[in-house]
Amino acid sequence: MTGIDYIDYKDLDLVKRFINEQGKILPRRVTGLTAKYQRQLTRAAKRARHLALIPFVADNVK
Amino acid sequence: MADPTAAKAAKKNTYELTYILNAVLNDDQLQDLVARVDKFIEEHGGEVLDKNVWGSQRLAYPIEKKRNGYYVNMTFLSEGDLIVRLERALDINDNVLRYLTLRMDRRMIEHRAKRKAAAARAAAEAEASAAESAA
Repeated sequence: MTGIDYIDYKDLDLVKRFINEQGKILPRRVTGLTAKYQRQLTRAAKRARHLALIPFVADNVK
Repeated sequence: MADPTAAKAAKKNTYELTYILNAVLNDDQLQDLVARVDKFIEEHGGEVLDKNVWGSQRLAYPIEKKRNGYYVNMTFLSEGDLIVRLERALDINDNVLRYLTLRMDRRMIEHRAKRKAAAARAAAEAEASAAESAA
């Protein structure tokens, strides 16, 4: 997380790194982020979902 | 004591707005809608700082049975009262699929400036390499 001071919902490459295939936000125990950044990540991911930039639920064909 | 209403009127925030328009519309209609949003802000005492049209993109999930959306991202300076009216206007317009308004704090403003600088640098580099390959 070097050189990052704010997690923006528009930085999709960054946000997508912390999302699993189902579209879920990875938990802190997996991401290893500090509370501050995990909070920012969650907010960014939820904003990106609202704007249909990332899915709420990934449609895995089963 | 300063007039409290005057002090309130002077308080302007920086806002970021991203909205998604119905991509089924033709270019003229899209341009017209974008211009109307700008005009709405300017007419109500706001000031558009910068605007980024992302254009037509595939949505991550369908909204109102549409698979594509035309994205516009912008920042502007305005009083808080404008936001309520702007959001109401966006709600009423059926061609606006989604929108997101954020008040930008200092950190977000700095972040945006950094992003903009990085994008400008990338564009300059791409141009330089294109010129190089052409030569």
